[in-house]
Amino acid sequence: MSEVAATPPATPTTAARTLALTGRLTLSEGAPLWAQLQRALADQTTTIDLTTVTHLDGGAAALLNATLQQARQSNHTIHILGASPDVQRLLDLYSCPPGVTCERPAPKEPTALADIGDSAYDVWQQCKAIFAFVGDVCAGLLRAFRRPRTIHFADLPALMEKAGADGLPIVAVINFLVGLILGLQGAIQLHRFGADPFLANLVGLSVVRELGPLMTAILVAGRTGAAYAAELGTMTVNEEVDALRTLGQDPQRFLVFPRVLALALVVPLLTAVADIVGCLGGLFIGMSYLEQPAIAYLQFLQSAVQPGDVLTGLLKSSAFAVLIGLVACQRGLSTRGGAAGVGASTTSAVVIVLFGLVGLDTLFTWVFSLLGW
Amino acid sequence: MTKVLTVRDLTIGWGGEPLLEEIAFDVERGEVFAILGGSGCGKSTLLRHLIGLARPMAGSVHLHGLGSPQQALEPPQFGVLFQSSALFGSMTLLQNIALPLSKWTDLPREAVEVVALARLQLVGLLPFAHHLPAEVSGGMKKRAGIARALALDSSLLFLDEPSAGLDPITASELDDLILTLSRNLGVTIVLVTHELASILRVADQCIVLDRAARGIIARGDPRDLRDRSPDPRVHAFFHRQSQRHDR
Repeated sequence: MSEVAATPPATPTTAARTLALTGRLTLSEGAPLWAQLQRALADQTTTIDLTTVTHLDGGAAALLNATLQQARQSNHTIHILGASPDVQRLLDLYSCPPGVTCERPAPKEPTALADIGDSAYDVWQQCKAIFAFVGDVCAGLLRAFRRPRTIHFADLPALMEKAGADGLPIVAVINFLVGLILGLQGAIQLHRFGADPFLANLVGLSVVRELGPLMTAILVAGRTGAAYAAELGTMTVNEEVDALRTLGQDPQRFLVFPRVLALALVVPLLTAVADIVGCLGGLFIGMSYLEQPAIAYLQFLQSAVQPGDVLTGLLKSSAFAVLIGLVACQRGLSTRGGAAGVGASTTSAVVIVLFGLVGLDTLFTWVFSLLGW
Repeated sequence: MTKVLTVRDLTIGWGGEPLLEEIAFDVERGEVFAILGGSGCGKSTLLRHLIGLARPMAGSVHLHGLGSPQQALEPPQFGVLFQSSALFGSMTLLQNIALPLSKWTDLPREAVEVVALARLQLVGLLPFAHHLPAEVSGGMKKRAGIARALALDSSLLFLDEPSAGLDPITASELDDLILTLSRNLGVTIVLVTHELASILRVADQCIVLDRAARGIIARGDPRDLRDRSPDPRVHAFFHRQSQRHDR
């Protein structure tokens, strides 16, 4: 007589502390079987009679064996009676083999405190990794200056096209709308004080110094930065980056430098376009809401926005571009795991870049104000 | 013997260009049936058609008692091990196996876990139940993939290159598992492979595909084909593999 516990979906008959199971015991009727087995366990059933069981599948065998194990753990023995050779073979297959530990592994159940600790440690590790990466890139850049042909420039035109030309429509539309919204909000207030002509000052300076570079960088981060992180992340988990190394190619020169360079070249151009269309959004409001002549708006714009304002915006945009490129590439190249790892890298790239953009913008504004620019 | 799978006049390909034409074979209940052939001959493409993930250009695949493969997908009446294992990376091994059980049975959560753990125990992965796929080796992923394919107690399994890329010991352990499933659980297994040692050990019947012939060039017991096939392509297939193996 072997040990096993089971319950029949078909015709169970419970005699004095004996559970008799009949018919086919399969996974598709596993729920009632499990309920009966648990009841038998609670009733201190001592025997499960399988004499009339005609078929047992693996799922049902697993449920029977689990019940036996539960009984053993509570110092209660259930015996299996009348199992046919086929049924017994399956029960044996799903039972714990001799000499093997079959205790259920404990799931990882982190506490809230551990979660906070892990998260903080992760942030610290990510920051360290990014700084280390930036250091590596700087060192690599110096080496690349000595041997510029080692940089993989072949991809540069395509990368510039994808980041720049392909992204131009969305950058133009969003920044036009930003200029429009800013213009409308400003016009309503300015009109109350009879200061309509200053609409050009408000929109022009806001767009050229702050919103143009920042909005453009945010769009590039969401569009191109995320794509870089996902692409490099997939290459990393597919061992393509390792393959590059084995072919004597430095991933920095092959993958990182072209991408960062493409962004550094393209983002200022996109920002220039963003500045123009943003101001045009203000012009549209000036003409339609305040009924200003276009020439008047443009003259006020010309006197308000100096070349230095445009240059500070473009300088910011170049720094933003480098930040987006470096963070996206670093996150992609540090990807671990499979598809989930790629998703996590992409998300973290966008989040870090957004934080970085706002932080960098604050720093620039502070420094420019100190310098009187 | 009872037929489980019947393929008749099957023509498959890509973009209107046939890759394999007029494929016909039967798989009997409880046997291990191997689909053999060199790289690029269409083995995995044929498997995709057998499991209903691609539609043939002509012909039919019939799963006896289940209908077409598409009809047999909801609920799944067969299990599949993909070449890359295709475990969900964001889920633990236990969660991967519990997924079809939660979806297609009315078992309570505790019983789902019991059954999923039993599958992992069967393939020797119980201690790794709470590991993510990225945290286990390639051989373990394959075994977990088989456990997931077995989750619903399917009587028909399709295995795509189960031992490809594995070391000989791990590959041999997988062969043991396939034999256990076939002999002890009576599972019918359709196996796509070109691992000769595995074929000769586990397969009861096989077909050999050839790219140039765009079809089946031999069928039968793989040991007989190795020893007695008059077809030079079949002989070369087995002989070349044997020589490499003997070294």
